[in-house]
Amino acid sequence: MANVTLQAASTVKPPLAPQAQLVIRNFNFYYGGFHALKNINMDIYKGRVTAFIGPSGCGKSTLLRTLNRMYSLYPEQRAEGELLLDGKNLLDSDLDLNDLRARIGMVFQKPTPFPMSIYDNIAFGVRLHEKMSRGQMDERVEWALQRAALWNEVKDKLNQSGMSLSGGQQQRLCIARGIAVKPEILLLDEPTSALDPISTLRIEELIHDLKKDFTIVIVTHNMQQAARVSDYTAYMYLGEVVEFDLTDTLFIKPKKKETEDYITGRFG
Amino acid sequence: MANSEHTSKQFDADLEDIRSRVLQMGGLVEIQLTTVIEGLATGGEDIISRVIETERRVNNYEKEIDDACVHVVARRQPAASDLRLIMSVSKIVTDLERMGDEAEKIARMARSIYGRGALTIPRSIDLRQAGNKAAMILRRVLDAKARLDTAEAEKVIAEGKLIDTEFRGILRQLITYMMEDPRTITTALDIVWIAKSIERVGDHAENIAEQVIYIVDGIDIRHTGLPPAPAPEESA
Amino acid sequence: MELHKKRKLINNIALALSLAAMSFGLFWLAWILITILQLGIAGLSVAVFTQMTPPPGSAGGLANAIFGSFVMVGLATLIGTPVGILAGVYLAEYGRSTVLGHVTRFINDILLSAPSIVIGLFVYAAVVVPMGKFSGFAGVLALALLVMPVVIRTTENMLRLVPDSLREAAAALGAPKWVMILQVTVRASQAGIITGVLLAVARIAGETAPLMFTALSNQFWSTALTEPMANLPMTIFRFAMSPFKDWQELAWAGVLLITMGVLILNIAARTLFKQKITS
Repeated sequence: MANVTLQAASTVKPPLAPQAQLVIRNFNFYYGGFHALKNINMDIYKGRVTAFIGPSGCGKSTLLRTLNRMYSLYPEQRAEGELLLDGKNLLDSDLDLNDLRARIGMVFQKPTPFPMSIYDNIAFGVRLHEKMSRGQMDERVEWALQRAALWNEVKDKLNQSGMSLSGGQQQRLCIARGIAVKPEILLLDEPTSALDPISTLRIEELIHDLKKDFTIVIVTHNMQQAARVSDYTAYMYLGEVVEFDLTDTLFIKPKKKETEDYITGRFG
Repeated sequence: MANSEHTSKQFDADLEDIRSRVLQMGGLVEIQLTTVIEGLATGGEDIISRVIETERRVNNYEKEIDDACVHVVARRQPAASDLRLIMSVSKIVTDLERMGDEAEKIARMARSIYGRGALTIPRSIDLRQAGNKAAMILRRVLDAKARLDTAEAEKVIAEGKLIDTEFRGILRQLITYMMEDPRTITTALDIVWIAKSIERVGDHAENIAEQVIYIVDGIDIRHTGLPPAPAPEESA
Repeated sequence: MELHKKRKLINNIALALSLAAMSFGLFWLAWILITILQLGIAGLSVAVFTQMTPPPGSAGGLANAIFGSFVMVGLATLIGTPVGILAGVYLAEYGRSTVLGHVTRFINDILLSAPSIVIGLFVYAAVVVPMGKFSGFAGVLALALLVMPVVIRTTENMLRLVPDSLREAAAALGAPKWVMILQVTVRASQAGIITGVLLAVARIAGETAPLMFTALSNQFWSTALTEPMANLPMTIFRFAMSPFKDWQELAWAGVLLITMGVLILNIAARTLFKQKITS
């Protein structure tokens, strides 16, 4: 028992002074005449998992979808304010959206494999942004599938259609497709809501693993999931960020009563 | 049971961390106990102050482990064996911390006895025997906890009763001392407190053993004792 | 219990009615098929595929009509399909809620439901009259005009079936719109689009009315698109109406050929579509 020493707590490690990668300032968003996001101010920290939680319609998905300017697909949607990535405002009109999306990847609620082989699903995004030889592409595809914990299950059937995989595998394929482009930030829009509990846990474990290399933002309607996977959590309600804090703090002693009511199920 | 891995490695790491810290804390309390019992015989001031010093670390462990348990509950929503483990750990650390308190109390008593100029403590052999037994029981219950060994835990509960018997024996002898020579009353009372503390240590060890059984089998045997046969489920 | 019996009774009545309706329809369909098979097989021979349409009273076949039908249907498909697919892509991917999109969709719907004889008359007025003669080319044009609306409609519908999440997923990887359309949405609806084309081909294979005013018919082997061209529907029309026994037999053989062709196209379209959907 000589090695009895007081060790620093290793379970909870609020990282000291994390570095902000994406800075959101005075951000407002409109669906036509509807003011969907109101004056959002928040930092997304590098190499951390940030979760947005809140009741349906609180704007958490909307906020996520502005971060890679997904809303630009729809002409009636409009944003104001600042979304600063490395000091560059993502809302600037001269921004190349395709470059932006190579830097900020996204995975959707329902698995969305493209109607092509597993290999081509991964290579699709890479080909858009990088020229590489067949050998390099093989390596990249393997790397992405390894990273998404899918390689062992599909390595013998890379030429099969991506649609032939199970739901959980399809979602990991989509994550692999997202990280194959080597983005800096990965946005996950309720990535497990269409999956069974075991697949969900695997994706959550994957998220934990991926944050070593990517900054991750996840929207989830399952606050336990937010508690499990995230380092920071933002509670949103009616288009506003009610509270944004370390996940540990938010789930153990939230500062605002609204947050407490929501996470303890006293909401509504 | 809790040995197979979770899908979430972080969860495994968290639980493992809690388990090992409980064992570290137990080890620290065990050292406190053996040290203070040794100190009873010699009255070394350094030993005694060391025990009092260690108590701070034991208290810190209690707070940290409890905090870790809260975090696991908040973030992982543990169920079944994980839930029992977390609930039990939270109680076990309280018992361990109390044991640490008892060790400190013994140390303070010893200091006050020697402070009055006594050269030895009467009946110190009996005290040492009881004390060593308590320390041994603590070691065994920590082993049982580490290995999740319910058979060992049941033995610990049985032996805890023996310490109670020894405590009553020491008490009877001290009463005769006090009746023979009233000048020994102050010291004898201190010794009664020491014996009582040792007895309490045994009680806490028993509590921990009960928690071990709860973790493994999910049966709460506090106040009721072990069920006659492997209890069928459905406890209304 | 009363209620339960009543429900069962109603259920049985409804079932009996639908079964009756179904057998009514099937009865006529079976009769038609059996008649075609009986009479068609009787008129079928090797000569049908090798010899030209004969003058009344002498032996002959349908070779020139079969060839003409193949040429005109093939060319009409080649012209109508790309135009139709491109227009369908425009409607589904670009012009969903634009004015041009709405107008195009509306006009296409009218074309889709226009009687084929109207198309025939239009081509007659627009092409045959200025040229001063009937021609295979005019026939091709009329058939292409019939293919187009079908292909436009199925292409648009099939593309609309592709969930928007797939489009967003492609955009989220930084894919420009044309890459997304070519590699993702069109690919996802490939089977449906091909099915649409096959059904369109099946539709024009048996059209008689538009050809009546355009390609007319030809008693001889002719590959010139500027001349009137033989084709199965018109030949059937003429031969079946005639009083000559051998002409009538050839007409039935032609009917059998067209029916089989359309049936095969339909089966092909269905199996293709099913395969893609289940995979």
